Amino acid sequence: MTSQEKLCRFEEQISPHLKSAYNLARWLTRSHEDAEDVVQESFLRAFSAFESFRGENAKPWLLTIVRNTSMTWLKRNRNAGAVIRYEDVLEDPSEGSPDPEETLLIACDREQVRQALEQLPLDFREAVVLREMEGLSYKEISTAIGVPLGTVMSRLSRGRDWLKRILSTPSIPRPVRPEEGAGPR
Amino acid sequence: MNCADSRTYLPAYLDDELDVAESLHVQRHLAECGDCRQAQDEQLALRSALRDPELYAHPSADFSKRIEAAVRKAAKEEARSQRSSWFEWLRLDSLRWVPAAAALVIVTTVGVFLITNSMRSSHEQLIASDVLTGHIRSLQPGHLIDVPSSDRHTVKPWFQGKLDFSPPVPDLSELGWTLVGGRLDYVDGRPVAVLVYQRRMHNINVFLWPNHGSADDTIRQEDAQGYQILHWNGAETTYWVVSDLNNAELLELAQALRGH
Repeated sequence: MTSQEKLCRFEEQISPHLKSAYNLARWLTRSHEDAEDVVQESFLRAFSAFESFRGENAKPWLLTIVRNTSMTWLKRNRNAGAVIRYEDVLEDPSEGSPDPEETLLIACDREQVRQALEQLPLDFREAVVLREMEGLSYKEISTAIGVPLGTVMSRLSRGRDWLKRILSTPSIPRPVRPEEGAGPR
Repeated sequence: MNCADSRTYLPAYLDDELDVAESLHVQRHLAECGDCRQAQDEQLALRSALRDPELYAHPSADFSKRIEAAVRKAAKEEARSQRSSWFEWLRLDSLRWVPAAAALVIVTTVGVFLITNSMRSSHEQLIASDVLTGHIRSLQPGHLIDVPSSDRHTVKPWFQGKLDFSPPVPDLSELGWTLVGGRLDYVDGRPVAVLVYQRRMHNINVFLWPNHGSADDTIRQEDAQGYQILHWNGAETTYWVVSDLNNAELLELAQALRGH
């Protein structure tokens, strides 16, 4: 494959997924500028690794690179969000499992959803974004993140439970504390 | 299916990750259980909240141009570095030719070995491999002959004391085969005589040593990587003839040698 052929094939198969790459990087880094830098770095990595791309599904292949580049970037920049572990911030969802009476409604306020997702710990956020926004299968997520299928399922389920709890509007009004809805600290 | 199982399977059910049978179990349970249906509704509400197109993050307007330019620049650099590495490689004054030549010899030797695998017996394979390697080595400058002479009366005595036999050195100049000299080589674990003949610009190596086995006058031919190898076991002497000369002419030489 000459360099010219490689470039043509790359632009045909990989470049169309630029938006997905950016969306993922944006949700992982939580910063517009960082996301653009991460995506640029990811595309250069993808281009130099393109010989190893065997024509399988291009989107998960690219998103795996974006995900890994984001993680490297987060570690390098010692982003606090990267080191928050689920266990530190989330209660076990089996306790205080949502009471149907209390949590029937999910807030439809888009800003609240955005905030909740941004505050979801990284391990869970990446699984949720890859599944809900990018439509990757469990198998593809498992490959992208490099964890077993069962871990993908448990992260998705715990992440969603956490989001549901945050976004639930009690049907019986109760006093709202100022920090409520701002996520765990 | 009970409620606990249903809640476990619900996310995978909604994510289309269950097989048909499992999906049917969940569906059947949902049809009967109001609590689980409510859990399903919550999941679906969360899903549609997360799939709100407004939440999907978009890069700046000119971002795709920036990425395109970066990738094309990388492609150009890659092409340039590939080209320049070839130019570097091809520079004649470069010492890189030394390993290149060594690699060529190794590749040729390996090739010879692989090709001569088609020879009949494994013992003959080894000899053919030795002979061909010896021939190729003889083509390196200064390796062809130890005794440069077109005179068989010079060449033949030269072997005396160096070998435990006296090789026949026929004069075939009348048939158009110029004797250019002789040398010692090592084949099949023993020192052997090599006569070097020339026709036009082609060198022919004739390897010979005493035949202690059964005689078989039939000339066998092998073609190995552009070289012809001819072989027969004379009553007293084993012959291996190697050259890049064409097959028909080489056969003439073999027949002439066999006649002597």
